[in-house]
Amino acid sequence: MSGGDRWFRAPGITRADPVLVILWVALIAIAVIWIAPFVFIIFTSLKANSTVMGAGPFAPPLHPDWSNYAKAWMRGRFATTVLNSAVITVVKVPLGLLISAMAAYALSRIRLPFRRALFLLVLFGTMLPFQVMLAPLFTLVNRIGLINTYVGIILPYLAFGVPYQVFILHGFFRDVPRELSEAAEIDGASHFTILRAIFLPLSLPVLAALLILDFVATWNEFAMALVILQDNGTWTLPLGLMSFQSQFSNDYGQLNAAIVMTVLPATIVYLIFQRYFVSGLTSGAIKE
Amino acid sequence: MRPRRMRLSVTAQGLVLLAPALLVYCGFAVYPMLDVALMSVMKWNGLTPTWRFVGPQNYVQAATIDPVFWVAFGNTLIWTAMSVVVPPLIGFALALGLNQNLPGRGPLRALFYLPVIIAPIAVATIWRWMYDPFFGLFNAALTAAGLSGLIQDWLGDRAVALYAMFIAYVWETVGFSMVLFLAGLQGVSRTLIEAARIDGAGRFATFRYVTLPALRPSITIVLILSIINSLKAFDIVYGMTQGGPAQSTQMLAMWAFTQAMQLGDFGRGAAVSMVLLVVTIAIVIPYLRWMLRRDATA
Repeated sequence: MSGGDRWFRAPGITRADPVLVILWVALIAIAVIWIAPFVFIIFTSLKANSTVMGAGPFAPPLHPDWSNYAKAWMRGRFATTVLNSAVITVVKVPLGLLISAMAAYALSRIRLPFRRALFLLVLFGTMLPFQVMLAPLFTLVNRIGLINTYVGIILPYLAFGVPYQVFILHGFFRDVPRELSEAAEIDGASHFTILRAIFLPLSLPVLAALLILDFVATWNEFAMALVILQDNGTWTLPLGLMSFQSQFSNDYGQLNAAIVMTVLPATIVYLIFQRYFVSGLTSGAIKE
Repeated sequence: MRPRRMRLSVTAQGLVLLAPALLVYCGFAVYPMLDVALMSVMKWNGLTPTWRFVGPQNYVQAATIDPVFWVAFGNTLIWTAMSVVVPPLIGFALALGLNQNLPGRGPLRALFYLPVIIAPIAVATIWRWMYDPFFGLFNAALTAAGLSGLIQDWLGDRAVALYAMFIAYVWETVGFSMVLFLAGLQGVSRTLIEAARIDGAGRFATFRYVTLPALRPSITIVLILSIINSLKAFDIVYGMTQGGPAQSTQMLAMWAFTQAMQLGDFGRGAAVSMVLLVVTIAIVIPYLRWMLRRDATA
């Protein structure tokens, strides 16, 4: 937009539109409601318990009590849960994207037997709710002896991450013009080389979008971790927060500090890479 | 003409590329889904090697002697009905507004979408604290406004808890609908809207006859995804009420989990899962067929 004097204009109309001004005021009012929980959480996280109980909920913390963060970090075993979340995410996200890209390439550019059926099988998985399969996931991982291990949680994470990524990348790879890969094929390059040297560099924006989306999804995942990571030494951040909530729910300042520390990494990633979220999310659902 | 040996090796290359994703997907997503069906006709505690085939008994018991099943079923229906109306409607209104020439629309979009990217279990924790009967935001604000008559035990009152939880869910999911609608609005021709306005079409007529028809695919997508997401509500229930008080917020995904993982009856849990799975698949398959048709014509 080219500056302030263009605001509040309807398309094709040159004067400011009073209806748009009213609309804008309404949007600001809704935004205030939407932001209120965040303000409340941050304020409470900086208050001592006596202040929480004494002053009003939106009274700003005039003497911020930062010690809530240090105490919550210790009691919530954040050193352990952050490390576990970080290891699982750093391994799972790039690995998942790599195998999805390989599969998407094979399904879109190589004449494989049953490739249509295989694609439909994967597509079906984009909508499969893992929430109804928590018990069989537990018994499966338990049977192969991987309960309370990184591998035990990464395998199901990979399985439920593959369908959406394959679906998106399949659509993207399919539309790459044939001429781009034909020259390389004639030169005798293998499909591995073509994928690495032509297709992956070409799809960097899509890969970035999927990477960011998957980072947040993996970082936030709770239900599967709940059944597979039962020992508190293997807990991820969401499990740690849940436990904090049930054990120390009366230490209001610390509880809210724990909430802030849990949501901060994903929030920062989101604010930095905002546009990738929108493109990653909408490229699957809406094509124009 | 390629020699035959080359053709085979191309297929082999394809299989090598496909294998890792396909194996992990079949092993840890497709297999557990089939396993749910198998478990639902078994009597099993999930841990011992011995189990017993019991046929449809788990389903019959869920429908006849399990009093919680129908509560969870009813709540899931209410939840889904609310989820398919409220967040998409608010998301639609926000998208229409934020698609106009308004100052600060970028930050506003970011704000409304922010709850979507926060861990659902953190959303549950935030709202549980806001609903705290003594020091939470709602009751403290009501007291401060002199409305202490409206104070509730939001998550402790059986008549209120499900709807209190739903308000948290609205806050969490409106941004999702909004972003999909905003993307759909990008596809509405600006020239067409301008032409309609210049030809003297009113604001409402332009919306009704230009914008709305162009948004029909987006509306379908948002509604279907809203239904599917609401059916699998789990984190928010677990984090806010665990199904209580007195099962008044119990839902099917949570009840399947509770029966298997907490009460040790994997057969009964699987039967509940199957109900949810079949309902979901009944919605998903026609949707995917519609998507594929759209994809083919695009």
